[in-house]
Amino acid sequence: MRAPLHAAGLAAILGALALVPLLPINDFYLQILFTIGVNYLAAAGLNVLVGFAGQKSLGHAGLFAVGAYAAALANVDFGLPPWLSLVLAAAMGGLFGLVIAAPSVRVSGPSLAMVTIGFGIVVEKIVTEWTDLFKGQAGIYGIAAPSVMGKSFTNLHWVLFVGLLCVLTHLVLRSLLNGRYGRAFMAVQLAEPAAESVGISVVRAKTLAFVISAVTCALAGALVAQQNQYFNSDFITFNLSIFLLVVVIFGGSGSLYGPLFGSVILTLLDAWLARWPALQHFTYGALLLFALYLMPNGIAGALARLAPRSGGPMRPAITASAALSRGQTGTSAGGGPLLAVSGLYKAYGGIIPVKDVSFTISPGKVHALIGPNGAGKTTLINLISGHVPPDRGHILFAGAEIARMPAHRIAASGIARTFQNLKLFGHLSALDNVLIGAHLHVETGLGAALTGLPANRRAEAEAREEALALLSELGLGERAGDAASALPYGLQRRLEIARALATRPRLLLLDEPAAGLNPQETHELGAVIRRIQAAGITILLIEHHMDLVMGISDHVIVLDYGEKIAEGTPETIRRNPKVVAAYLGLEEGA
Amino acid sequence: MTAFLQALASGLALGAIYGLIALGFNITYATTRTFNFGQGAFLVPGSLVGVSLVLLSVGKPHFGNLAPAEMTMTAYLLATLASTLIVGLIGIALYYCAIKPFVGVAGLNWVLSTIGFGIILQNTALAIWGPASIAVPSPLGSDVYRIAGAGIRPQEILVAVVAVAVMAGLDYVLRATKLGKALRAVAFNPQAASIVGINVEKIVIIAFVISSALAGLAGILIAPITTASVFIGMGVALKAFSAAILGGLTNPRGCMAGGFLLGLIEALVGLWRAEMREITIFLIIIVVLVVRPAGLFGTKTVEKI
Repeated sequence: MRAPLHAAGLAAILGALALVPLLPINDFYLQILFTIGVNYLAAAGLNVLVGFAGQKSLGHAGLFAVGAYAAALANVDFGLPPWLSLVLAAAMGGLFGLVIAAPSVRVSGPSLAMVTIGFGIVVEKIVTEWTDLFKGQAGIYGIAAPSVMGKSFTNLHWVLFVGLLCVLTHLVLRSLLNGRYGRAFMAVQLAEPAAESVGISVVRAKTLAFVISAVTCALAGALVAQQNQYFNSDFITFNLSIFLLVVVIFGGSGSLYGPLFGSVILTLLDAWLARWPALQHFTYGALLLFALYLMPNGIAGALARLAPRSGGPMRPAITASAALSRGQTGTSAGGGPLLAVSGLYKAYGGIIPVKDVSFTISPGKVHALIGPNGAGKTTLINLISGHVPPDRGHILFAGAEIARMPAHRIAASGIARTFQNLKLFGHLSALDNVLIGAHLHVETGLGAALTGLPANRRAEAEAREEALALLSELGLGERAGDAASALPYGLQRRLEIARALATRPRLLLLDEPAAGLNPQETHELGAVIRRIQAAGITILLIEHHMDLVMGISDHVIVLDYGEKIAEGTPETIRRNPKVVAAYLGLEEGA
Repeated sequence: MTAFLQALASGLALGAIYGLIALGFNITYATTRTFNFGQGAFLVPGSLVGVSLVLLSVGKPHFGNLAPAEMTMTAYLLATLASTLIVGLIGIALYYCAIKPFVGVAGLNWVLSTIGFGIILQNTALAIWGPASIAVPSPLGSDVYRIAGAGIRPQEILVAVVAVAVMAGLDYVLRATKLGKALRAVAFNPQAASIVGINVEKIVIIAFVISSALAGLAGILIAPITTASVFIGMGVALKAFSAAILGGLTNPRGCMAGGFLLGLIEALVGLWRAEMREITIFLIIIVVLVVRPAGLFGTKTVEKI
């Protein structure tokens, strides 16, 4: 949403909050307003996890319980003041967010659903059965509510307090999600290998999302316990986990405003239908069944389709070549090879795509890796970029061992790559794709991103400038605002190169960049690669277009059946009988 | 020792039920990458329809209590067939309402739509049968068999025998018949399957009919052990889902093995401390999945980069 509209919306909500005390609203309606707020809080955090990081959790009732019981026990058993109990509950939520993230980040799909369901049920059973501590169904009585000026919170106070908390949560999450963290979450959701290739730690991104969702969910639970002044194990059910997920998905997951729509509409519907329980359940079921059919991206998604997409022209202020040569600190120390691969070996069962391969890459040169289909070229690239761990062997990059390092750390050390089967972040804009590439260079700490400090905005603006410059350099300047998946194939290939360049690499691995390009586009690609080389970036390129390979390479390495059969200048490779035999299928010496 | 044998028997019976439902999850997951998250609700008509049919056949209203003598083997058999068939047919409605719009759509919209379908089904049952539970006599009577001193309920043996027979039959169908081949072809690659003349949608519908029918069968089989009510489904289906994930959602035999494993763990932990059953089960599953994300017998799919 554009800034003026956002400010107007915020002012409207704050104005409405200020009006609440002046209106003759009875406790029934105050309770509904409070519930909307609590549901919004829980859903807003869960949306970070589900909608942005793409991790579907079916166990957040467990985190709601953590907050509720932490607040209740801190106050009732340990006599801590309510305000402190509330803070403690949020902190406990964060801690348990780490606990559930630890197993969850290792699994995906149905197994992730299972792990989160399991967590929710374990918590549910613990608070139900461990009656000495949690009092089970009998519940904990006399939970003190916070007080202002010596007077305990009334329902009106609760509504105002929760309303302010919601606004605050929204502002914090908005600042976080509109910047590099939001982009990193999206990158993890859309294409994990690509996220790793630009230096994003998938494990850390998912863990952070789990912790954020856990904190808001625990806070919601604590608020319910304090406002009720009572809490028992009946609150914590699998259905609560489902309900929280429904609020997010029905409202529109992945949209900053989805949880708002979801919590307002579902809470009101719930309250309105409460008089007819049977009808309430049927409506709920029908909503789950048909709403997503009519609005696949929830209410926020349906509204976004009505609103016109705004996208003005975007012009960079810095020159393209300046963008290319950022981060080039010259050749590696001592003038040795930039990359030295020795005895690299990888087997999948009986298939050995890379068999004791050794070679070196000199700084500033264009190296080509060629070989028939199935020769092991892509596997070799995957081993260097860290997407696949080698069985044995060494990879020294600028003198440091990088074999078996995780992909995101290899990317951070200065190796970028493109993918043969394109792995763009499909529905994000070309600009966002490149900005994700710049992830490591948007210098913003988590604290600054959460609070939206000026330093954060400055770093974002700089990254944007650089990304736009890179896009123009690669002839994508006019399409910066277009979704990556809407670009023609040739431009998608270039966008992958732009994203890789945004990591400011010293070594760029290109996996068949000309695949699917027409002769004209292939010719232009050759010029692009030369410009990248001229900016001081070393290139290792897999390619089948021999015109391109022979035209731009300084050095060619030939693989066949996982083994290096030749290397040298394009001239010598062209005449090498082993290479000719590998390509034309002749017997050696024939 | 006798307590141990008793637990073993009820664990196997319970495990057979989990295995049946888990196999259903496997069949639809393999063909569509989706399954019915609201499967628990499908056990409800499974048990209640069957019981009501027996009640109506002896001239009683559809909701009431059955005398043990009224539950003859023939009546139970016919009720079982009818339940299985009817719930299987509900599977067709499930496919068109909750699955078809979302197959191939990224995200988990199908999770919510199947849960929604389940809620509607459960509340329809609530409107017809009300919230009270019906005690269902076993057609084999309530006398316990004494085997090595352990008292084993005949219904447990019946459940285990029927479930194992059905699982063995389906295993044969999946492996050795043309239908099984078609199911596996659709699972492997729907486009390629349709090119060689397989009606993919028909196969997918059959998968959902089988999966739903298995849930219906589980409902009527378990009714004499748990009683029949609108609320029995959720817990059982959740554990069946756990069994499928534990064994490996992509492997039918893994799903069945997961069912037995889970049933046995549940019964044996119950010997020690009944309230620790769920906690232990789900903690074990979380640990197993961390070590083997595709389940014990599942094959890990490697994403091609």
